[in-house]
Amino acid sequence: MRLRTARALAGAYLILFLIGTTWPGVLVASRIHPFVLGLPFSFFWYAAWIAFSLPVLYLLDRVERRYRDQRDGGQDR
Amino acid sequence: MTRWVMVTIIIGIYLVANLVIGLMAGRRSSKSVTGFVAADRNFGLLIMYFVTGATIFSSFAFLGAPGWAYSRGAAAFYILAYGVLGMVPLYWMGPRIAALGRRLGHVTQAQLISGRFPSRTLSALIAAVSVAAFIPYITLQIEGAGIVINSVTDGHIPLWLGGLLAYGIVVVYVLVSGVSAVGWTNTFQGVFMVVIAWALGIYLPFHLYGGIGPMFERIAQARPELLVPPGLTSTGTHWGWGAFSSYILISVVGFLMWPHLFMKAYTAKDDDTLRRTVILFPTFQFFLIPILLIGFSGVLFPQAPADPDSILPFLILRTQLPSLVVGLFCAGALAASMSTGDALLHASASILVEDGIAPFTRMSDRARRRLMRWLVLVTGAVAYWLAQTNTSSLVQLLASAYGIIAQLAPAVFAALYWRRATTAGVLSGLVAGMLTTELFRLYPAFAPFGIHEGILGLLVQIPVLVAVSLLTRPQRQEHLDAFFPAGSAQTR
Repeated sequence: MRLRTARALAGAYLILFLIGTTWPGVLVASRIHPFVLGLPFSFFWYAAWIAFSLPVLYLLDRVERRYRDQRDGGQDR
Repeated sequence: MTRWVMVTIIIGIYLVANLVIGLMAGRRSSKSVTGFVAADRNFGLLIMYFVTGATIFSSFAFLGAPGWAYSRGAAAFYILAYGVLGMVPLYWMGPRIAALGRRLGHVTQAQLISGRFPSRTLSALIAAVSVAAFIPYITLQIEGAGIVINSVTDGHIPLWLGGLLAYGIVVVYVLVSGVSAVGWTNTFQGVFMVVIAWALGIYLPFHLYGGIGPMFERIAQARPELLVPPGLTSTGTHWGWGAFSSYILISVVGFLMWPHLFMKAYTAKDDDTLRRTVILFPTFQFFLIPILLIGFSGVLFPQAPADPDSILPFLILRTQLPSLVVGLFCAGALAASMSTGDALLHASASILVEDGIAPFTRMSDRARRRLMRWLVLVTGAVAYWLAQTNTSSLVQLLASAYGIIAQLAPAVFAALYWRRATTAGVLSGLVAGMLTTELFRLYPAFAPFGIHEGILGLLVQIPVLVAVSLLTRPQRQEHLDAFFPAGSAQTR
């Protein structure tokens, strides 16, 4: 994946995270049922945004790292 | 042996362990300001991971956050929302801040801002605001430590003594070892906090309701309004979307701007360490999930504590837990309090000297370091004294601090990413933003849709910063070259 694509995808995820957890995005999740993993849907919704940020940030870091290695290795950008 | 004696012994062992770790930590760092404030820029990934996580989660994690879930329900989800979003900008900003720090000798946030925008007024203003925000924050940590020790020993250790013991130890290790002590003790404290939170967050729902799902089924039947965002206000009426959403937004913006967290960017060993700290942060943020489960587990408990914030100690003492577990819980809660308190104490002394006093005088490295140590003691004593007096007004002060601290964000972004910004622009923007924030805090009725005053401050500050910068003369090219190394694209 190219650096630009990776940053765009990670940025898109984070913007969706913000929209999805604040008004008006959160309205779609502002309910109790269905329960997921024992949590009411609203609680699960917030937990899931944190959980998915882990793989997203990991992938972003892999692409950023490969790009830095190609360029020269470890200068500040 | 009665429970409180056993619990007191465990707390004693825990506090001594902290003291030993804190005192050992400083033996390797240099006897300079950089050693005291930035640990010679030598923290590895393990310490950075825990120092950021444990610094962020204060005694609020074991007292306030379960209290929110217990009394305000889904309103507490706002605490889940902002951490990761607030932290991510550090992935790109952190290495730049650290590189400038190495090249220009910065160890504080104000040095970065007033280095790019030379003004002693700016430096002193940031120092004053930071310390004004820190003192109530430290005071509440001391008070939290006192409350926890007092409640688990059934009142045998009075509030004043509990706070004095815990923070006497913090002052000693910060004074002797500086930020190295903060790093190593926070690693120890961070492990404690996370393990205890998960253990209790799973144990209490299972013990009281037979599981997490069954617990929420029962809450959904009895108190459904608690499970639907934006939840309730502290008086039990429905909270507004404007307030809920703007609390998240201001917390995202203000998150990294807390100087005690921002300054940790200068302590990392290298850029990769800093970046990985950010990438791993969501795993620490998960720790809030069991914390909220603890709060929810109190909702249908037959009795209620006098103050929602003490729901956790209240439940612990009424669920026949073995004294060992009660003692360990107390250590976990103390860990949360002390790991934030030590970073705050250290940062306020460092900032007072580096940004409030040093720019106005000529002081040697040694004299500055010695003064910092004195100020650790003085700040600790002032906060301790305040903790013994009335603290309800401090909660108010701290609530306003987030809005004020967030006002530093445009200055930091301008320093790092906008060449055309000028000293006059940043200074006037900052003053305008802070005045607006304070105005709407004093007269909240005027804030549209209950929007957080800090957001309104930013809405005023940003246009002022941009307009005044464009109207004043650009900074000299040679000056800018030091901040924007040749060849790097300056779009971010």
